[in-house]
Amino acid sequence: MAGPDDSGPPLPPDGDVQANELPEAAGRRLSGQTWSSALTVADLAACEAMGLRPVALVQGFCVMQWGFYTMAGAGSWGSGPPSQATGAAGPYAGRNSGASGGYQESWPCPHGIASLDHRWGYNLEQSWVEAAWSQGFGSAYRRMVDEAREAGAHGIVGVVDRAEYLGEQSVVEFHLSGTAVMVDGTGPAPTLWSTYLAGQRLGKLFEAGFVPVSVAAAMASVQMWPNCQTEYLMNGGIGIGPMWGGSAGGEITQVTRAETAVRHLARSAVRAQLGLDTLHGASFAVSRRQSGTGGHVIECTLRGTRVRRFKDFDPLPAPRPTVPLS
Amino acid sequence: MTASPPPVDLASEVRRGVAALAGPPPPGRGGTSDLSIDEALLLHSVGWEPVELVSGVSVVSVPWGVWSWGQGEIGAASGAHASAMGSAAGRMAEECTSAGGQGVVGVRVEVGIWPTHVDVALVGTAVRPVGNGPRTADAGHRGSTPTPFMSDLSARDFCLLHGAGWRPLGLAFGSSFVYAPRRTVSMALGQAGQNVELTNFTEAMYQARELAMERMQRAAISLGGTGVVAVVMRQGPMSFATHAVGFTAWGTAVRLGPEGHRHLEPQVVVSLDDARVAFQASALRADAAPE
Amino acid sequence: MTETGGSSDQHQLPRDLPEATSHRLEELEHGLFTSDLSVNEFLLIKHAGFHPVGFVMGSSIYHIGIQTRRWGKSQELSKLTEAMYNARELAMTRMEEEADELGADGVVGVRLDVNYYEWGRDAAEFIAMGTAVKAEDGRSYRNALDKPFTSDLSGQDFWTLMQTGHVPQALVMGTCVFHIAHRGLMQTLGSVGQNVELPNFTQALYEARELAMTRMQDEANRLGATGIVGVRLEEKSHQWGSHTIEFLSLGTAVTRGDRPVALPLPTTVISLDN
Repeated sequence: MAGPDDSGPPLPPDGDVQANELPEAAGRRLSGQTWSSALTVADLAACEAMGLRPVALVQGFCVMQWGFYTMAGAGSWGSGPPSQATGAAGPYAGRNSGASGGYQESWPCPHGIASLDHRWGYNLEQSWVEAAWSQGFGSAYRRMVDEAREAGAHGIVGVVDRAEYLGEQSVVEFHLSGTAVMVDGTGPAPTLWSTYLAGQRLGKLFEAGFVPVSVAAAMASVQMWPNCQTEYLMNGGIGIGPMWGGSAGGEITQVTRAETAVRHLARSAVRAQLGLDTLHGASFAVSRRQSGTGGHVIECTLRGTRVRRFKDFDPLPAPRPTVPLS
Repeated sequence: MTASPPPVDLASEVRRGVAALAGPPPPGRGGTSDLSIDEALLLHSVGWEPVELVSGVSVVSVPWGVWSWGQGEIGAASGAHASAMGSAAGRMAEECTSAGGQGVVGVRVEVGIWPTHVDVALVGTAVRPVGNGPRTADAGHRGSTPTPFMSDLSARDFCLLHGAGWRPLGLAFGSSFVYAPRRTVSMALGQAGQNVELTNFTEAMYQARELAMERMQRAAISLGGTGVVAVVMRQGPMSFATHAVGFTAWGTAVRLGPEGHRHLEPQVVVSLDDARVAFQASALRADAAPE
Repeated sequence: MTETGGSSDQHQLPRDLPEATSHRLEELEHGLFTSDLSVNEFLLIKHAGFHPVGFVMGSSIYHIGIQTRRWGKSQELSKLTEAMYNARELAMTRMEEEADELGADGVVGVRLDVNYYEWGRDAAEFIAMGTAVKAEDGRSYRNALDKPFTSDLSGQDFWTLMQTGHVPQALVMGTCVFHIAHRGLMQTLGSVGQNVELPNFTQALYEARELAMTRMQDEANRLGATGIVGVRLEEKSHQWGSHTIEFLSLGTAVTRGDRPVALPLPTTVISLDN
């Protein structure tokens, strides 16, 4: 039922079979006479000026769960390193290289003892979590696009997206919604475009010579199990030297590398969705939490609108500065 | 702009754009940017363009016991803060250079000061002159390779300064952490009920504040700047150690370009803004503005 | 301050500024400027014919404990008034000294802040900060007392003021710490549930505000100012509980200068940014 969309967030190859089924109630709402929209009055007026006619409020949901991954089988994580590789193809190796599928680095214990207090540390990209996030976002997006097609739309503006943890830490609900629009004076579109922008900002985007292709978003997740050295430093102790993880007053290398990696990975993931297009109006957010297995999880989410240049742009003259009197 | 461009029919531009989606994308690799469309348009109007979203992070440890009550300046804390800022800025500068940018604007600076470490995370958009023009002659230099500038000024402020002839060089920052003087207030007074200045305390806080500002100034000078604009001064006790007070000052170091200061001629306006009004595409062009 | 008896001649003379300050000011004198003005304000100040010289500040940690007072009577707590005034004066004077040291004509964007620290009960830090500026046409814009002018006007307001042909003289302030009588228990019970004016409060607040504003005006008069712009009244209880309030009246005293009036006719616009 879905069109041959190659734009839009990717679904992993063994993607969701149910992505194309809309709830029955949605079908009724979308074929009705009146439309609803979350656009403000100003944004609505801007749509009229752009020749975009709102036809429906569309949305898509998906709830995903991902499992835990433990280092050496269920339960024990202190029983030695899974692999001595410190990232064979470079620290931020491609997503599908390496046993766990991506960035990994290990931090040996400088004291040479393996016990509960002295341990190796690992930074590990949790690619199964990233794939699940991608699937969840992608499925919610597809459902929203399906609703828009059902209503006969050409594009979706003013997309709002929310990804929230529901109760437990491994269950996330994705919700995307937006206003489906038709472009006056055009026939059915081969691909359905979408954007986070609406109103004046969207108008200026077109005027500047860019057309929105799709919303783009990715999440990178790195779990860090501190080695004994890192743990001492994070608790205020004196370290031994940078090779083992840092020293007091110096950089805590394991944590810095994990934080740097997660930001880099999120950007690579989004760039892989862009093709030759540009990401506009990106928003970048990083969060951290403790994980159940004694590590820290750092997650970075990057969202924005993928846009493509359709005409050469001659720049606006520099605007006139004003000083308001009221 | 000598010839005035023809007025724009936005609806037909939209149709044209949407139709172009069916064809192949234009050549050339696109970038990523967190600038809004207004900022991107402003940047273009001064001949610059966004290139790539870049970031830099650093986490530096602070040994235990640093925050327990002592005397005078808490050198380990200011040292850690400076080191973390320096490393994070250095990494962001490297990302900027490898993306082909000449500087980073709109940098969001996030500093966390914890009992055991200081962490700094920076993110911003790397920019360069359109067509990747030659490096502007008065950009900062360290050693033989030009260093990218970075600034927490918004893209809009960057454009305003640029239009006036000023070049940003980098983020100049300074910090100092100090212990509050140990004697309690009532001990210092002898008798309660007198309303007088507490000179010990005044002196300690004054010193620390001035020290942070001085470090910021020195950083600006070492970047080659002749001024620091939009200075932000923050101070306050540490939430985990209220007898330790931290002062941070930062701003953008700037230098006047070779053409000197160009005055803008601002127009005085009375805004009639309290109701939302319909959008006029033609009003985006300066020639269509009311005169 | 003429009414509380503690005239400004009797409070401490400004101390020497700490050593770190003189290093910092030296750097500024050698040509580096610092400014906490936004970019908009920076450009407008330049357009008004001034150049920022340095970010200047002054501070003072003052003990402001409660003085004894009678619960049942509304009155000014003159010792506290004096303390609040002196503390701010000290901070402002030190800031002016820094500006003076830089050879500035005045200070714009002055902010007066009060900070409390947990380790200093009954003490507060009063801070004055702003950006010192110097005229580029070589004329002196110092005020009637030959000190750099001070003003809490933003860069935009400063520019607009200069366009109207006025020049700032000084940030003037008047303060009054007032204790509001607690109403007797019988009185309170008697008026529960009724819509009644509380004459105690009305009278007390009226008196206090008048005192603060009059003192501010007296300061302006002493400078020979034509008027005061941007007057605002702040009311704070600081750490004293709800029946003791400080009324602080602040504004910028101005005089008509001999610059020509240059304000063009404004254009009406409708802003396109939300």
